[in-house]
Formats: sequence, C-alpha cells, structure tokens
Amino acid sequence: MTISIDRRKFLMGSTALAAAGAMGGLSPAQAADVHLRLYWWGGQARADRTNAVSDLYAKANPGFTYDKEFNAFNDYWPKLGTQVAGGNAPDVFQMDYRYIVEYAKRGAVQALDEFIGKSLNLDDFDKDQIEGGKVDGKLYAISLGANSVAMMVNTNAFQAAGVDLPTRDWSYDDYKANAEKLSSKGGMKILADGSGNEPALENWLRQRGKALYTADGKIGWTADDLIEWFKMWADLRTAGVCVGPDDQALDATAAIDTTMITLGKAATTYANSNQLIGFQAVNKNTLTMINFPRAKAGAGGGHYRKPSQFWSVNPKSALVEEAVKYVSFFVNDVPSGLVLGVERGIPCAKHVRDALAPTLSAPDQLSLNFVSNLGDLLSALPPSPPAAAGEVSTQLTTKSQEVAFGQSSPEDAGAAFAKEAQDILDRAAKKS
Amino acid sequence: MTAEAQGLTVVTGTTPWRRRLGSVVAHVLLIGASILMLYPLLWLLSASFRPENEIFTSSSIIPSSVSPHGYISGWFGLSRSFDTFFLNSLTISLLCVAGNLAACSLTAFAFARLEFKGKNFWFAMMLGTLMLPYQVTLIPQYVLFLKIGWVNTFLPLVVPKFLAADSFFIFLMVQFFRGLPKELDEAAMMDGCSPWRIYYKILLPLSLPVLTTAGIFTFIFTWDDFFGPLIYLSDIKTYTVTIALRTFVDSTAESNWGGLFAMSILSLVPIFVIFLFFQRYLIEGIATTGMKR
Amino acid sequence: MTARSASDERAMPARAVTPSYWSRAWTENGPGYLFLLPWFIGFFGLTIAPILSSLYLSFTNFDMLTAPQWVGMDNYVRMFTHDPKFSQSMRVTLLFVAFSVPLKLSFALGVALLLNRGMKGLPIYRAVFYLPSLLGASVAIAVLWRTLFAGDGLVNKGLAIFGIVGPAWISNPRFSLWTLVALAVWQFGSPMIIFLAGLRQIPQDLYEAASLDGANKWRIFWKVTLPLLTPVVFFNAIIQTIEGFKSFTPAFIISGGTGNPVNSTLFYTLYLYQEAFSFFRMGYASALAWVLLAIVAVFTGVSFLTSRFWVHYDS
Repeated sequence: MTISIDRRKFLMGSTALAAAGAMGGLSPAQAADVHLRLYWWGGQARADRTNAVSDLYAKANPGFTYDKEFNAFNDYWPKLGTQVAGGNAPDVFQMDYRYIVEYAKRGAVQALDEFIGKSLNLDDFDKDQIEGGKVDGKLYAISLGANSVAMMVNTNAFQAAGVDLPTRDWSYDDYKANAEKLSSKGGMKILADGSGNEPALENWLRQRGKALYTADGKIGWTADDLIEWFKMWADLRTAGVCVGPDDQALDATAAIDTTMITLGKAATTYANSNQLIGFQAVNKNTLTMINFPRAKAGAGGGHYRKPSQFWSVNPKSALVEEAVKYVSFFVNDVPSGLVLGVERGIPCAKHVRDALAPTLSAPDQLSLNFVSNLGDLLSALPPSPPAAAGEVSTQLTTKSQEVAFGQSSPEDAGAAFAKEAQDILDRAAKKS
Repeated sequence: MTAEAQGLTVVTGTTPWRRRLGSVVAHVLLIGASILMLYPLLWLLSASFRPENEIFTSSSIIPSSVSPHGYISGWFGLSRSFDTFFLNSLTISLLCVAGNLAACSLTAFAFARLEFKGKNFWFAMMLGTLMLPYQVTLIPQYVLFLKIGWVNTFLPLVVPKFLAADSFFIFLMVQFFRGLPKELDEAAMMDGCSPWRIYYKILLPLSLPVLTTAGIFTFIFTWDDFFGPLIYLSDIKTYTVTIALRTFVDSTAESNWGGLFAMSILSLVPIFVIFLFFQRYLIEGIATTGMKR
Repeated sequence: MTARSASDERAMPARAVTPSYWSRAWTENGPGYLFLLPWFIGFFGLTIAPILSSLYLSFTNFDMLTAPQWVGMDNYVRMFTHDPKFSQSMRVTLLFVAFSVPLKLSFALGVALLLNRGMKGLPIYRAVFYLPSLLGASVAIAVLWRTLFAGDGLVNKGLAIFGIVGPAWISNPRFSLWTLVALAVWQFGSPMIIFLAGLRQIPQDLYEAASLDGANKWRIFWKVTLPLLTPVVFFNAIIQTIEGFKSFTPAFIISGGTGNPVNSTLFYTLYLYQEAFSFFRMGYASALAWVLLAIVAVFTGVSFLTSRFWVHYDS
C-alpha cells in the first residue's frame, strides 16, 4: 500500500515539527552551559568512578561540563585551604569528618538545609549519616557513604606462611603471637606501624572508654593513655611484630600506593572499609578485610559507622543551586550508584543500597557485610572533631616517628604530645 | 681556551716525567669524578626508556630494551596531558624574559647613563634589595595578589618582572653599560637625541651580550621556579611543569616510575639545550658576576 | 629676567622662581625618573610596602579570612620559648649550610685547581662539572635524588658492591639531611667556574717568582694562590651561604612537603611555607620571615666586618 502524503500536510507537519524542535532546542540551551569544578581526594579507582558519574550527569543535563581534580589525602587539605583563602575554591569538593567543623566555622561550606526537599533529595537517606554532616544543627555536607575503619589483609602472605587469617577476635596480643611465623617467610612484618595513625589510636582509645575529643571540643584522653600507646608500639617494634621506622616513614602522603601492604613490607595495614577496591587495584596479592585489632581479648566498641566522606558546596560559588543538584544526583541516581559501588562507602540512600546489593562482587559484598555486621565492635558515632584536629593528627605522626627512631622515649613522647595537642587546639581557638 | 689554560701552566722545578705523571693522575681523577657526577643523570635518562619492571632491578646503565612506554604513559599520566604544562611553563618563562629585559634595561640605563637627583641613593636602595630574603615580602605580596584577584593566574609570576623586580639583572646591566664608551651618548646628545633615543637606538643594540645573558638566566630561573607556581597556581589548567611533576610524584608515586622519569627528562631538556648552545654566555655570566647558577 | 626693585622681589619671590625651578628640575631629572618608573612602582609596591606590611603582620594573628588581630610580641615570644619546630628548623638549616657550603667550596676549589693546570679537554671537563649545577635546582633532580637514595635505590646498590649495607637514606632521620647536603655539594660547578676565573687572574709572574725562590707546589698554593683567591673565596662563601638559607625545592620534594621523617628535613623556608600556606598562620609566618632577615643581615654584616682580617684585595 502506498502511503501518499499530502504534500501540504507534510510541509505543515514538518514545519510544525521543526518549530517544535527549535522550541524544544531552546529549553536545554536555557538550562545553559553549566561548568562545575569538582575536587576530591582518592586514587585512580575513585577518579574513574567519579568521572563516570559526572558523565552520566552530563548526559542527563546537556550543556554540563566539569573540571575534575584529585589529590592524595594529605596534599588535599593544604591545597583546598589555599583555594578557599584565595576565594577560588571549587564548586563541589570532598569534605571529611575531621575538618568539617573547621570549614563550617570559617564559612567555607554552604549550609544545605534550605535545599532539602527541593534540589536536594534526602528522603530515604540514613539519618545517622545526615547527622554526621551537621555542625551546630545545620547541614553542611552530604555523606557519600558509610564506612568504618578496617585492616587490609594480604591473604597470600598469610597462606604462604601457614598462618591463620586474622579473625574478628584478634587482639594485638594475637598479632604478636603470630608475628614470628609470618615474618619467617621473607621478612614481611605482620603489622604496619600504627603508632602514628590517628584512626588506630582512636579505635584503641574508644575500646578503653576514652575518645579523641569530647563533645565540647576538648581532648578526650590523658598523657598516660598516650604513654601506654607509644609503649605498646615500642614493644611491638622491638619484637619485630610491626614494620620498622625506616619503612613506615615511606608512607608519607597516605596514598594507597605507598602503604606498607602495597609496598610488601607488612601483611596488614590500617585503612577504611571502602578502600578495599582501591587497595586491590594496586595490589597483586588477594586482599581481604578485617576489623582493627582489639586492645585486649574481648574488648569492643572501638569502631563506628562513619560518613566516609562528604560532598560540600562552596558558598561563594556562582552555581550553588547547580552544585546542590549535582550532589543530589550523585547520591540518589541508581545507575550512578551502581557505578560508584561501595568505593566511597555503603550508599546512604536506601533505594540505591537496595539496587546495589545484588550486583556486588564478592569483595564488595565483603565491604557491605563488614559495615553492617560490626556487632560488639561497634559503638556510637563520636562528635565531630574541633578545629585544628587535622594538625593534631599530623603532630601524632611526627611524635610517633620520634619514638620509632629512638629519639624520644614513649614516656617523654606521650607527655609531650599531650601538651602539644592541647597547645594546637588552644592556638586554633584563640584565632577565632 | 686551551691556549690560555696552557699559558697558565705552573712552571715548577718538576721534571717532565713527573709532570706527565701528575697530568695523568689529574686526568684519571677528573674522569672518575666526571663519571660520578654524571651518573645520576645518565641513570635517569636510561630509566626513562626502560620498561617498568626493569627500572629498579637491572644494574647496567644501558637499558636492555628501549621502550617509549614511560614517555607515553607519563605524558598522559595526569588529568591533563603534559603539553598543557609545557605550554604554561614556556609562556611564563618567555613573558618573564621579556619583562626582565625591558624593565631592567630601562632601569639600568637610568642608573648608568642619566644624571638625576638622588641617583646614588636609589642605586644603593636597589643594591640593598639584592640581599633581601624573598620570604620577607612573600606574604604581603600574596595577600595583595589575593585581594586583587590575581591568584590562580600567571600575573603574580610575570608582572613583577615588568617592574624590574630582579635587582641582580639591573646590576649586571649597569656594569655592562658602564663599559660602553660615553662618547656615543655625548655625540648623540649633540645631535639632539632624547634619552629615549639614546637608549633605544644606541645602547640597546650594543647590549646584545648582556641582554642574552640576562635573558638566558631569567629563562632558566623561571622555568625551574617551583615556589612561585606552588603558591599562586591552584588550578591544574595553569600548572607549570615543575608543579605537574610534583603532582605526578604524589599521585602515582609507586605505580609509574617510568612515566615520572620520562617527564623529568623532558622537563630538563630546555635547560640542557640552552646549556649546549649558550654555554659561553652561561659560563661568562657566572664567571664575571658570580651568578648563583 | 627683568630688573626688579627690592620690594618687588620680596613681594613675589616665589612666583618668579618657581616655574623655572620646577621646569628645570623636570628637564634635569625627568628622564631619569621616567626611566626608573617601572622600578619605582616595583620597589615601592612590591618591596617597601610588603616589607613594612610583613613587619606589621608579624605582630598579629592573621588567617586571611578575617582582619589581622594584634597580639604584640606573642609570635616572637612563642618562637623562642615555645616552638620546638622553630628551633628544629633552625638547627636543620644551620647544619645544612654549615656542611654544604664548605664542602661545596672545597670541591669547587679542588677541581678548579686541577683544571687550572691547563690541560686538554678543559672545556669538556668544565662543562661536565657545571651541568649538575645548572640542572640541580629543578624538581626533576629532586625527584631523582629521592629515588637514588631510597632504601633500594642506586646508591645502596652501589654500596652493596663494596659490601656495605646502606641505610634507607631518605626515610631515616639520621641520614635524610645528608642526602640534601649531597645534592647541594653535587652542584659545585658554578662556584668552581668562579674559582677558575679567579685563578686565571693571578699573574703568572707571581708563580714564577715563587718557584724561583724554591717553593714547592704546596707552598705556592698556601702562600701565593690561596691568599690571592681570598676575595673569590669570600664572594663564593657569601653567595653560597645565602643560597643555602633560601633552599626550598629539594627539601620539599624529598620530604613530600612535610619536613619528615621527624622534621629532619624541615628547612626554615619549608617551615615558613607550612605555617603560611598549610596552616594559614600568616602573622606567625611573617614573624618567621623577619627573624630570617635578621639572621641574614647579621651574618652578612659579620662576614664583611671580619673579612678585613683574612681577605686580601690587591692594592
């Protein structure tokens, strides 16, 4: 059957179509060319996923382009600080629990409460994750995933030495007991030197009923606690349980590449539960995850479900609304959630989590289960640390190196660090 | 050169045999020292061409297989390819050369050839700034550039050159100008030339040697400048090669040594080229004025 | 000028003198000042104003987000009584300078003397020794150095040939600073060139006279060469010391910006940078800068004063 198209009708139709097309073409153009600057910390694995999500966003929002920049964690903060001070901070940047109070107080992050329910969708978002992003009751950052601290474990090394893999009950004594057998094969130590690792210290303090910081921003531990901490590690060091100072010092920037497990110096290393993917990407050995060691047998309560990192928005950005839209998309869009997986932590929006769970690979399931099943290892989320907490953390690393290299005894270092930490907090408080 | 050097041979009472031995010993020492001095550079060069797994394991300096892998992966190793960074470095360096040559020669001309009240005072002030550590002016300069919105652009790195901030080159040029005969100026003035014409038409053309020296050193200093770009450039689009290299080290440290070394070699190439072609200027520049490089 | 009565002159001296005074001043000084205009802008805007401003800031707390807060001498008091990082960075910097400068100059002088015998290949040797000096300040070389001195780096491989087990130079606080000293000394090429030029200026007849008197090589060196070289030694020493105080890039790259391990590579410049740009304590950093200025000024002053006792200028 031939379809005869009335010429006139065709012309009219096509003109109408064209007009409609032109009109339709106008609206995306009005949505205008949005260019957002994104900045985060992490490794290549995270970068690839983040860029993929940004591309998905670009598909849904024609005219959207973005700048993507990332650094290792330690370099990230000085650079971000410079940009904030210079008035040219990125539009959307990653924020950490350790710094959020400081940045909120400096007016460097946008308050997001007014956007909830509008461009920011937090309908089925985990409540405790939302709380984690609040300072003084106002929401400043959106959690990108829940995680908890975890030890990365090199299964091949344990198997080769004939040592059982660490279990959730292992305490530091258990690691010590198994150290010699593991090191006998090739000199790899069983533990990295965690004396300068703030999360390790925090976990240990919490198990003893202390904390890094109290709710009113004061130090939650005493010099005696730190003396015992440094003593414990000095003991582990001389017993050959943990990595020596020369090697540990190689881990300067907290980049995954230079951690002790990746460098083959230790069979375990302190990390976060969402980093299994990142670690596995650069490690030839098969990795698994276990909790941080117990302070002693049966001690618990060290862990907590932390917002692994947040997206914050630059209040001085010209595109605050657009930035918030991007953030909302990032945490709510299901295809994006599938791309991101659990690399940044367990997604906080329930619908994303539910969509994600069945698709997870074995290691990712591990991450998910790990965070969900902390059991007696878990206790409440600590208050967000006060301003200059980041500097205290750096000072801890330096102090721990002093002890490790024999420049200072654990007693002196513990007492000195208590004074120094207080001094840092006082200095920061005086400024504001 | 050799002739001069031979002329300086110390005449002592040693026999020719002992002198020959001394000479051989000297040569041996020098050759040994040369190898030691250059070995790091040669190692870097060879490592840049090695496949990744061989870089730290093989002990010879000649790579067993030459692979451009390092250069390719390094070039694209950051979120922007290195042509951006080389272009930025080149732009900044050339602008700084232009600024320095223009501003310092103007200033030097005034000090060397013109008379005006307070000249000695200002000259002493200018010399005084030579000894000033840059840290003293660093922070207020930064705050100033911050307030006028120049941070994260090339401007803080380039504009000071156009304001004759490099007293050293002013000094260098003053010394040179003083060496030019004053009769030229006087003759020109009798012909009714303005100071500007004297500067532009007479002095500048004769100053090619000192301008070349100053230009070369400015280029090298700027190309290698790390601190300036470190504090003023935060957007990866604007990075110079120095900052890009540092970012490379930090972000892909253990996983792409080949790329890192390859880009390092490339960053040294312009300086090496200058070294090959302008060695005379470099050496004379240092010898006569004691420039730090 | 037209003749004026005494009263006229008294009545209008200013008007009569001013125009020609100013226009004369302009024609005399104008060109000079015009040519100096760029320099004046730079000198006042980028040197004098910042110097005064940083002096002011050194008495404040200033984080760039809010206005500076006056704190009087607090920063300086803290620096000298309360700040272990300050004394550490001083120690590190002074150690660095104290070792790298004499070593550098010794090598420079030694090789210059060797080369000064007048030999074939002088230009080549000179170029070879100079090249590290030219390339040495770059980020690329600092990166290379970090790799060479790592625990499993080239240096240790080289030592292993002699059966020596080298430490992990870069990550051990006892040795990390020495890698930086080594890097500085590696760049002895440019002071060497200055020494060569200085040696060349020593008149031949002095050598001949000395050898005719029966002096051997060593005595010639001590009695003739070295005394005549003292101006060059002095010059090199000052330049290299000031350069040493300004050193930043190698320490930054090798320690990753931290000055670690245990602040063993915390050069003063690096500490200042951290205070200013990592912790945004601009007031304190300004105070640090002024202390550095004071030190450099005292050092230069003392050097020039004492130079009278050992530097021989020909007269």
